[in-house]
Amino acid sequence: MPIHDQSYRRYAGAREQLGNAWLVIAGSGIRGIIRKRRFLGLLLFAWMPFFVRAIQIYLAANFPTMSMLAATAETFREFLEQQGLFVFLITVWVGAGLIANDKRVNALQIYLSKPLTRIEYVAGKLAILAVFLLLVTWVPAMLLLLLQMLFAGSFAFVRANLFLFPAITVFSLLQVLLASFTMLALSSLTKSSRYVGILYAGAVFFTDAVYGVVYSVTDNSSLSWMSFPANLRQLGDVVFRLRPRYETPWIVSLMVVAALIGVSMLVLERRVRGVEVVA
Amino acid sequence: MADPAPPAVAPPRAPSFVEASLRVFDLTLGQMLWSRRTIFLALVVGAPVALAALFKALEAAGLAGIRVSGTRVAGPMVFGIFIWVLYLRFIIPVLGVFYGTSLIADEVEEKTITYLFTRPIARAAVLGGKYLAYLVCTVLVVLPSVVLVYLLMVPIRGGGMASSFPSLVIDLGLLGAGLAVYGAFFTLIGAWLKHPLITGLVFAFGWEPGVLMIPGYLRKFTIAYYLQALVPQGMPQEGVASLLQSVFRDVPSTWVCLLSLAVIGIGSLVVAGWVVEKREYVLEQ
Amino acid sequence: MTLAAFAPAAAAPIVEATALSKWYGQVIGLNDVTVSVPPGVTGLLGPNGAGKSTFMRLMTGQLKPSKGSIRVLGEPIWGNPRLYFRIGFCPDQDAFYDRMTGLDWLAALLRLNGYGEQQAGEAARRALETVDLLDASGKKIGGYSKGMRQRVKLAQAIAHDPDVLILDEPLSGMDPIARRRTIRLIKDWGRAGKSILVSSHILHEIEAMTPTILLIHNGRILAEGNVHQIRDLIDEHPHTVYIKGADPRALARRFLAHDDVLSLKFEDGAVIVETARPDAFYARLTDLAASGEVGAVDEVTSPDDNLQAVFKYLVK
Repeated sequence: MPIHDQSYRRYAGAREQLGNAWLVIAGSGIRGIIRKRRFLGLLLFAWMPFFVRAIQIYLAANFPTMSMLAATAETFREFLEQQGLFVFLITVWVGAGLIANDKRVNALQIYLSKPLTRIEYVAGKLAILAVFLLLVTWVPAMLLLLLQMLFAGSFAFVRANLFLFPAITVFSLLQVLLASFTMLALSSLTKSSRYVGILYAGAVFFTDAVYGVVYSVTDNSSLSWMSFPANLRQLGDVVFRLRPRYETPWIVSLMVVAALIGVSMLVLERRVRGVEVVA
Repeated sequence: MADPAPPAVAPPRAPSFVEASLRVFDLTLGQMLWSRRTIFLALVVGAPVALAALFKALEAAGLAGIRVSGTRVAGPMVFGIFIWVLYLRFIIPVLGVFYGTSLIADEVEEKTITYLFTRPIARAAVLGGKYLAYLVCTVLVVLPSVVLVYLLMVPIRGGGMASSFPSLVIDLGLLGAGLAVYGAFFTLIGAWLKHPLITGLVFAFGWEPGVLMIPGYLRKFTIAYYLQALVPQGMPQEGVASLLQSVFRDVPSTWVCLLSLAVIGIGSLVVAGWVVEKREYVLEQ
Repeated sequence: MTLAAFAPAAAAPIVEATALSKWYGQVIGLNDVTVSVPPGVTGLLGPNGAGKSTFMRLMTGQLKPSKGSIRVLGEPIWGNPRLYFRIGFCPDQDAFYDRMTGLDWLAALLRLNGYGEQQAGEAARRALETVDLLDASGKKIGGYSKGMRQRVKLAQAIAHDPDVLILDEPLSGMDPIARRRTIRLIKDWGRAGKSILVSSHILHEIEAMTPTILLIHNGRILAEGNVHQIRDLIDEHPHTVYIKGADPRALARRFLAHDDVLSLKFEDGAVIVETARPDAFYARLTDLAASGEVGAVDEVTSPDDNLQAVFKYLVK
């Protein structure tokens, strides 16, 4: 027709299936964060240990005099433990404002007024943090394993240490899930991302400090379960088939980690709502 | 609505820097004491007291053997461990980071900074008043917690309270100084940087512990180096890190420590005041 | 014609901006603004995102100019806290110390203005009474309604009796009755000798307060001065005149004889004319009405001699 209608037009295109909205939240969140140059600097810095280890593996594989640098299962365990610092920093940087910022600008109501479930919202936010954490844990660790094969020119190491594939995956997942869930739960408690960051840092360092006092005073490492980082360290030793460094049974450490994730989920269930119900 | 107000009597003069700071202190102290940060503060300083009470109860019931390096020890040594491991290495720096980096940032985030910066007082006076409020708030909460821990732990296994009292006084003084200096330093970080929290955490829990293990002059670029030199109790040996630290530890004289802490603290506050005067704070729309 | 032309001869401008620009990274907030705001009540008008709040924040020393300069009461405002004795600012953001009562908050801010404790309390009470909040002065601000919060913000701006008031969207969130009262208050303050710069994107609010406007859009000043004179200067938009009379067709026949009449249309008992030369048209209309040749002329109005028309013509 000659005169075109300028009024509102209904969307006539295809619609995504319900249940994929978390991908949209994750995608836009990730894009927003990688636009920040300082954060990219931190990510780059987080990969420095990878480059150092890669050089170590290369030297050990190609120079017989450097064979004392040869990788063992413990090398990968140590690498992931060292990455714990970057896991902490990225969790605080990326995770503190994930839900807190939405609460501050009342965006939570807007999100949840869309055809989007709370689970999708939480999954999307979780995915944002998990992607960056896996990028500094699982991805470089797996790459190191690959480099080991490539530099050595044989599968001997991998065949002898086949358990490293699941070990790296399980331990990375433990690190990522614990950090992501606890940070997201804290972020849902308040509107200030700074407050969330300090609460998280407090929880991590405080429990370690309290355990430090208890250990100093009792000489007993079976109470290491009270320190969040110590539980992860204990599980890491077990997963990599190393001698556990604490006397705490590994099952207790696993239960503490599981309980933390469980409590975080409960907190998220209570706090991620479109409206606050005031009794 | 009533008619326009008759002109009020104009104030005779603008408040001086100190007067203005004190008035901001008045305004801020109540906010700080009754904010949700206080919950965090209460948890952080309450935990050592709870832990001390637990140890006391277990010792009294004959259930726990308080021992260090396999040897049963008296209360004053345990109190020393609390001072080193909990207060000095954790509570003081974390409170400094928590409050210091937020003094101005909180007001900017809440958008209440406008009301303070459109008054006929120097911006540095606003910062000064808020810093004073932080110091009073934390000192009033932390030091009594230390005293309580002292009262609970020191008498264990016949520890002498009279003989340990001078150490307590020194501990209280150095922890107060720690709060002041860490607070001032992180106030500067908060006034100057865009991501003060990350920087503060990296400094307090990355730079300081790391550098203190390395022999050389780098440790002089920490606050912990000077504070730890003032602690009357011996450093506990908890592991490789503290063993390394104690091996490479050099202890500056008391006067050097006090002077250095004063320079760091006052210098940080002066620079922070200058930054706040020069910087513009753009509020989020 | 500039705003300064409307000021009494000896009065210095309250705000002088010279080639003033402000940008935030790649975003330009204010673009090469040169304007002098005279004493009296001036409306700062513009759509959302035009640069009104940026301009006000520059005027109140919260932002530094990226380029150019801004002077308030003859002095640079940045880094000059003494000026705040004479300036009262009501910001647009809804931000308070929610745990404080209205009275305590006002008194604390007055203490920062150098008031003694007793003086501060008295001045705070006076200000709260002025904005009709004295009854709620003992209640925490966190429990105030949106309108009450807006009024307590206004109270803190006037409490120290400043010479200049800078009000950023002061009517936002108020109910119609409170709006009317506040508009009256602003006009009273203007008559009492205060200089007031009030911003809004709601045209009839500004129209009710003052005919002197500063129109801003996309960070630039579009027009300044009396709204009617600005309208007269907008040549490319013909003036619309509504004439109700006994014989509209006879009127129309007479109008069509002149080439400044661009269009005519008829409504119930009236004719609506668009003319490019309103002065000449009104003179002819007066003569026609006086002669009685076209019957009685009951009503003559100009639907577009107002701020809305000015805004529409300049912004779009």
